[in-house]
Amino acid sequence: MQDVAKRSDDVSAAPEAVRPVAVNDDAVRTALAQHLSRISGSRTEITSFGRKSSGFSWITYAFVARSAAEGDRKLILRVGPPNGLFAPYSVLPQVYALQSLAGSGVPVPALVSSEQHGAEIGFPFFICAHVEGDVPAPWAASELDPDHKRAIARQFVEILASLHRIDPGATAFASLQQGGRRAEVCAIAGWRASLARPTARYYPLLDWGGHWLEDTCPQPPCRTIVHGDYRIGNFIERSGRIVAILDWELTHLGDPHEDLAWAMMPTFNARSRKLYGVLERAEVIDLYQRASGIAVSDKSLAFYEAYALYQAAAIQMCAVRAFEVDRFNDMRLAVMASQMPSIVRAFERALEAAA
Amino acid sequence: MSASFERLIDGIIDALQSHVVPNSNDDFVRGQVFSAIYALNGLKLAADWKAGPLLEQVRLQDDTLAAVKRLADGMAHPEIPATPRLTSDISDAAAIEALRDEGDRRLGQLLLWASGADARAANRDLAAGIERLLRRATCDQLKIELATTPKSMLQQIAGGERDGGVAQG
Repeated sequence: MQDVAKRSDDVSAAPEAVRPVAVNDDAVRTALAQHLSRISGSRTEITSFGRKSSGFSWITYAFVARSAAEGDRKLILRVGPPNGLFAPYSVLPQVYALQSLAGSGVPVPALVSSEQHGAEIGFPFFICAHVEGDVPAPWAASELDPDHKRAIARQFVEILASLHRIDPGATAFASLQQGGRRAEVCAIAGWRASLARPTARYYPLLDWGGHWLEDTCPQPPCRTIVHGDYRIGNFIERSGRIVAILDWELTHLGDPHEDLAWAMMPTFNARSRKLYGVLERAEVIDLYQRASGIAVSDKSLAFYEAYALYQAAAIQMCAVRAFEVDRFNDMRLAVMASQMPSIVRAFERALEAAA
Repeated sequence: MSASFERLIDGIIDALQSHVVPNSNDDFVRGQVFSAIYALNGLKLAADWKAGPLLEQVRLQDDTLAAVKRLADGMAHPEIPATPRLTSDISDAAAIEALRDEGDRRLGQLLLWASGADARAANRDLAAGIERLLRRATCDQLKIELATTPKSMLQQIAGGERDGGVAQG
């Protein structure tokens, strides 16, 4: 049963809030209780409140909301910190995703509440249902049974195909379209702008490659909802089924090849060229084409494989910026800078293949 | 001292003080952490990035800039500084790092120029050759950095796993 999502923000009427400079867990917990009490109309107590460490961007808390009206509910709170990886944050892509995809062939956690201006908590935030299950690690080979992994990998591709079959014009995602500009070019331009911000390092190949990507971006076979971070590690599986696709913060309209190329990056598949270390590339493409009805172009896929590395480099530089310029104290962000030489070299090779 | 070096040390100290110390009730562990913080504060006063790899990068950039200047003689191109840019009075890592970053910007401008319409219209083959030279040189520069980059610990860093293996330096 889906929870009813309640949006209490109103963009036009939102007051300029004085924001606290850092996210204080105790203050968040107090404000969360007030927020849930207000929107449910029933005094709500927060128990088992704790920060989950896995994310690099939004701060994630797991908790139980206890009220007379609704009993105990296990929920997730995600907060966009003012100096986080992709700050300033907007909840809208994630809210659109959780709202639009509820009940579709793409499993998502049920949205409970969201606030773009964070009136009570002080930062943009949303609350969704907790989904029981496991999140597989993308970075290293796991000891899971290969047949189990194959079944999950196939579902993973089929769900992506389901996402790309959805007509974005019939969803809230249509409002993400920026004027008459091609959505997929907007996405590239966004990362280029991010890389052009003052940071510790300027990389000639990224500057030049960003120009090339924007100038030669292929026409998409169709414009779809693109997850933007569709990879092993961004879903929850339970008893051999994928029960939720997570992390919709980079969702946008664009070319479906983008998600396919990102998902197949060896970085997210324990350094393997096979999806989840088990599904051959040709099998992934064949399965995806049959499930989505979208013909995969080798040339577009090569382009988006180069773009995936460009985006990965831009994300690393966001991390460096968050640490060095915005002084966001998370050492994981600091060490991401050390990945830059290998990513930029791989990007150069991918550009050669795509040209 | 390089700003990025100082920020890195500050970040490590903050991570230890804010996250490790409050979560350790073992006096021996706390003693180890405070000793590490003391040592890091010492490094902040006395250490910096190794100058060797930075010098190697600047020299490689100088060789590349000189080669492009020679090849592009007679073409209208972005300004190319006189080389060698390193003088004997530059010895601290922060100054060499700044020179390396400035060199990267120059190489970026030249790469965009060599692959642009104006250079191609002036001499297509020569411009393409300069583009290849610049791409190869910037990749060679990255190789120097890779030699001083420890093996990835992404799995342990992302998930905080305790038994994920040991990174090799």
